[in-house]
Amino acid sequence: MLTLLSIIFIAALLAPFVHRLCPKYTGAILVTAPIAMVIWLLKKIPEVGHGHPVTESFQWVEKLDLELAFHLDGLSLLFALLISGIGSLIVLYTQGYFKGHPQQGRFMMYIIAFMASMLGVVLADHLLLVFIFWELTSFTSYLLIGFNHNSPDARNAALQAMLVTVLGGLFLMAGIIMLAGAADTWRLSEIIQRGDVLLAHKNYLPILILVCIGAFTKSAQFPFHFWLPNAMQAPTPASAYLHSSTMVKAGVYLLARLHPALGSSEEWTLILTTIGTITFLLGAIMALGQKVLKRLLAYTTVSALGAMIMLLGVGTSYTIKAMATFILAHAFYKAALFLIAGGITHETGGETSVDKLGGLRKAMPISFACAILAGLSMGGFPPFFGFVAKETWLHALDHYPLLVGATVIGGAAYVLVGFAVGFKPFLGKMPAELHAHEIPLSMRFGPIVLGLCCLAFSFFTGSIGHNLVQPAATAIVAKELEVHLHLWAGFNKAFVISLITLMIGIGLYCSRSFLVATAGRLGVLVKFGPDAAYQFLLNGVLKFAAWHTRVLQTGILRDYIRVTVLTTVALVGAALVRAGGFQRWENLAPVSIRIALVAILMISATFATVHSKSRLRSILSMGVVGFCMAILFTFFGAPDLAMTQLVIETLTVILLVLAFHHFPPFRHGSKKRTRATDIIIAASVGITISLLVLAALHVQTPTPVSDFYLEHSYKEAHGRNVVNVILVDFRALDTLGEITVLTIAALGAYALMKLKPKKEEGGE
Amino acid sequence: MTSIILRTSTRYMFPPLIVFSVYLLLRGHHFPGGGFVGGLFAGSAFALYALAYSVSDARKAFRQDPRDITAGGLAIALLSGIPPLFSSHAFLTGTWWEVPLPMGGVLDVGTPLIFDVGVYFVVLGVLLTVVFALGEEE
Amino acid sequence: MTLLPSLPITIPLAGAVLCMLFRRNIRAQKGIALFTSFLILLTSLTIFASTKDGTIAVMNVGDWPAPFGITLAIDMLSSVMLLLVGLLAVGVSAYACFDLDEPRMKFGFFPLMLILLMGVNGAFVTGDLFNLYVWFEVLLTASFILLALGGERAQLAGSIKYVTLNLLSSALFLAGIGILYGMAGTLNLADLAHLVKDGARGDLLTMVAIMFMMAFGIKAGMFPLYFWLPASYPTPPAAVTALFSGLLTKVGAYSMIRMFTLVFDSDPEFLHGLILVGAGLTMLSGVLAATAQYEMRKILAVHIVSQIGYILMGLGLFTELALTGSIIYLAHVIIVKTNLFLVAGAVNRLKGTYDLKKLGGLYSERPGLSLLFIISAMSLAGVPPLSGFFAKITLIIAGIQIESWAIVVVALGVSLLTLYSMTKIWAYVFWKPAPEPLPDLDPMPKGQWFVFLLPMVGYTVISIAIGVFAGPVFDYASEAAAQLMNPQAYIDAVLGGV
Repeated sequence: MLTLLSIIFIAALLAPFVHRLCPKYTGAILVTAPIAMVIWLLKKIPEVGHGHPVTESFQWVEKLDLELAFHLDGLSLLFALLISGIGSLIVLYTQGYFKGHPQQGRFMMYIIAFMASMLGVVLADHLLLVFIFWELTSFTSYLLIGFNHNSPDARNAALQAMLVTVLGGLFLMAGIIMLAGAADTWRLSEIIQRGDVLLAHKNYLPILILVCIGAFTKSAQFPFHFWLPNAMQAPTPASAYLHSSTMVKAGVYLLARLHPALGSSEEWTLILTTIGTITFLLGAIMALGQKVLKRLLAYTTVSALGAMIMLLGVGTSYTIKAMATFILAHAFYKAALFLIAGGITHETGGETSVDKLGGLRKAMPISFACAILAGLSMGGFPPFFGFVAKETWLHALDHYPLLVGATVIGGAAYVLVGFAVGFKPFLGKMPAELHAHEIPLSMRFGPIVLGLCCLAFSFFTGSIGHNLVQPAATAIVAKELEVHLHLWAGFNKAFVISLITLMIGIGLYCSRSFLVATAGRLGVLVKFGPDAAYQFLLNGVLKFAAWHTRVLQTGILRDYIRVTVLTTVALVGAALVRAGGFQRWENLAPVSIRIALVAILMISATFATVHSKSRLRSILSMGVVGFCMAILFTFFGAPDLAMTQLVIETLTVILLVLAFHHFPPFRHGSKKRTRATDIIIAASVGITISLLVLAALHVQTPTPVSDFYLEHSYKEAHGRNVVNVILVDFRALDTLGEITVLTIAALGAYALMKLKPKKEEGGE
Repeated sequence: MTSIILRTSTRYMFPPLIVFSVYLLLRGHHFPGGGFVGGLFAGSAFALYALAYSVSDARKAFRQDPRDITAGGLAIALLSGIPPLFSSHAFLTGTWWEVPLPMGGVLDVGTPLIFDVGVYFVVLGVLLTVVFALGEEE
Repeated sequence: MTLLPSLPITIPLAGAVLCMLFRRNIRAQKGIALFTSFLILLTSLTIFASTKDGTIAVMNVGDWPAPFGITLAIDMLSSVMLLLVGLLAVGVSAYACFDLDEPRMKFGFFPLMLILLMGVNGAFVTGDLFNLYVWFEVLLTASFILLALGGERAQLAGSIKYVTLNLLSSALFLAGIGILYGMAGTLNLADLAHLVKDGARGDLLTMVAIMFMMAFGIKAGMFPLYFWLPASYPTPPAAVTALFSGLLTKVGAYSMIRMFTLVFDSDPEFLHGLILVGAGLTMLSGVLAATAQYEMRKILAVHIVSQIGYILMGLGLFTELALTGSIIYLAHVIIVKTNLFLVAGAVNRLKGTYDLKKLGGLYSERPGLSLLFIISAMSLAGVPPLSGFFAKITLIIAGIQIESWAIVVVALGVSLLTLYSMTKIWAYVFWKPAPEPLPDLDPMPKGQWFVFLLPMVGYTVISIAIGVFAGPVFDYASEAAAQLMNPQAYIDAVLGGV
């Protein structure tokens, strides 16, 4: 599996080059990669069908227990086949759709990379690996939705889809890490055997909620559904592929996968059924009033995803069978309709509105034929596969009358959409301004194959049920079950409801113009919808960020210093308080008079520095502080330091005087109030540090390293002047560093004085 | 700024200052002094010269570009760490040679002393780079 | 060892001295700088090879036994940092040779850059507290001058803020050293750790630790001490900013990790708790500040703050896995962030601006550059399987493992906002058509353009490689983290089992 996946990833990387080398056959060349996958998967059907999953595992990151582990069971197989099968058709379709487009190569790259990622999601057996691929699908989806990058709508939709799905992804990340912790393994195939442990675990509910949020955002469940219709900004091949038949089903897949682990609780049923049903109905109802081809389809996709979650939430083996069947049916008719819709728009010069289309049957007969097949399957008309799915579904919901009611409403909406997309553009009179021709060969494969499947599957229900649906359902339920699909299950209750649904649907279609008008009038409601909430939230965060930055980054150095200093004082103070305050006054060495005198002189000089009204006086007073320091050094027996200090002080004064006439006139910039604050802040720092130093004095030092220096200075370092020996021998590396500092300081001073920006450049 | 008194006294002060700075450098290992202070003294001497005469005169008197002296000093300090490597001691290990003097007695010469010479030149060069540049700014 | 551990310091110094001696010959300086950078990389590779089995490379400078002389000690964390410096040195000096203006080169860019590298390397190899201070001074001086070099108004305003706040850090650092020396009578880190473990000076030690936390916090750009960073980083040329972004704050973070695993590990509840709170606020504040910006360099610059938050998060959580995450994050962010600044520099070179609102259309015009940007940007945002993803998820797992929920929530939220601001750059600079057509200021021939992009290609490949070869990377990082969590080996190696 890894090999095949890698081949598809490599195909994606090569796509731009292939496109450059032979632009006419890009699709044909690249499609070989997914087709190889399809063939391999088809060959595995018997094996997997008999309950022998195919597994594969390679070590990746040992310390994280991350393995490239793959596991192909019935559920994975069903999804993987859809992904690679429809993917192959999409790649071919893209060839025609983007004929002559300069960025076709990039589009191919993105969509094939997406395909590989999506296959990864459904094949991976390691939770982290699932997550890695999951995020990759979000990312490739971003690039695909924003493909028409010159359009601001496309860019915003891309961002929205990405933010919503990645937000969900983060919840999911937390969820899976907790899940793995609770189950004590990252392996999905092991996790699903530990349902009892998980159910009893204290983190069960948080895990469930986190995983659900992740799945719901990806699968566009209420209240996160809004990104999906907006994502229709993507080029049609991407919409058909990602946003109807594959990526959006990742959430459904994940929940189905985890059903054995998390599924047998009331919370599960409650959350999934409620959210699923709401989404199912909401999507269906919203679809009724849509005018744009792709949005009609998008809302029914939302609805269909809701239905899958709903069926999964109910969680009986019947509903799960129904779900698996519906996934299959939906993938075919929806992808086909998308591709046909894309073809119509493509061949009519960009027309997207249903109501401006008509009479295309003559110009586009092949598309029309496919559209009929897919549209009727979507509506659930016998003998199409959509009908089979709908029958199974209704049959499974036998004991849930409310959900049956919902299904009738939803199903009716599907009929409307099936007609609106499958028939409306082709029938009636062709508007005069419309020019159309049939889609090119490469774009025909998809609709034809998918459309035919919508019909043909109905006549192989036994085989489909046995080979695809049954293994998938078995994997979801995690126990043996038998699936028998029937095209004709007899004249039973389900059939009657089906008929009623169809009739309501046809009725709705006839009153479509009224529905569209009503939807237009209700458009104001959008202001209160989740899409508006998203905007509100995003703007709120941006506003908060701007406010935060204004308040914190004032651009005034004084503020920065204050914050820095106060933080330090506060935290050191907190530690001081935590240590029970300062209690060690005793034991200080007596202060001699000469030291006291020097100290007083220093303090007064400091005050003079701060207070003086002229710069020269400040400099001189500062010099006094320095000289006092030198005196202190001599008191404590460090003549070297004293000497150096003296020379340095002298030179500082000289340099400052030299630099004097470059300075602007002297003035006190600060107000009295700020000075008062500054005094308090400065004093607090001084006190804190002094307290710390005093406290430190009381610690008995074992034997300071300086003793060693005194002892070894002459004996081993050939020098009587310990200070100098420290500088050039014991700690010569420090000195090397310091003279480097001096060197570059000179270099810098020189450069700053000599290198001035050219006038005309101004601020670069 | 140029006064006769300053010039004259500088002329007499200058050579002793330089000699004193070298003296400080050399005695540093045993008595207060060392490359740092020595360099500062030497630099001050040239700074004084620049004050008394002019920066360009001081530059002429100095002959070299002070930046080269700085870099050279740094190079000396760095290189002084290398000899001990040949006797498989660590970088910057003090290595000493006893050089017999012609008049009898021995001179203790070691890499730390060479290091200190480097320091001397760096300090001198740095000081003059800045002083000259500042002085030329008018 | 008598030489190897000191080479990361001496080689760049030698290169710098040579550059200074060849003051007037820019071509020679370029050659020296490039050659020295390669030597730095080579040295770090050698050191990396000799320490990757967990050996701690110790060298007593001047052959004075520890704790009396200055000891250089390179453990796995140090050697991976050295390696990153080497990688950075090569790429950035190549970029600078290509991109930097003549006057800046003439006035000492190359020696300053090499000395900056020397300071950074020194900080990573030293096992001595005061020596660490010296290297901080070296890199502070060098970086200050690099910031101001050119003397443009914005540069000067930024560098004044930079130097003032960083001097504050130095003052705190020095005061802390003084107090600690007064308490312990030693400056050798291992010896300090040794004494701290023996003695019962907990309260005072905690207070001193906070001074160090502040000193390093300023350097690292921790909240609320990071103001110098957004004020100064976006002002110098791209090569300088790239170098800074890769190195300066990371030295602060490194020192914080070193000190708070080796010396100040006696009161983790309070100290590491404090670091964790700081980490959360840092990542949040940084990313919010980035969200509010509409200038490519500014966005990237304040994002550094946010990423420092992640690095410190690992230290705050203070488990082996968390430190593993920090180390990977360090490596990841050094490479990726530097690269993003280089790409931003390339954009500026082409279009003459960093302004998001004026830029546009680069996706169609420059697919190669776009690819380099999007990979790095997504890596920063944590999109798998790039380097950022592994760094981030490790920290998240570590957080969840010890049920430190608040920081996990913050870290996850911040990563969403990171994604937002990265896609903002992408959408504005690359996707959006330029509001007014911007002609290429520097239409390079294809070959030259490729050479120009080469360092960026290299860093992008490294970022991908960290993800693809996450196995060995993790093995290494978790060994390094284990060394940090069990400092006895370090202490023994330095003190010879005293």
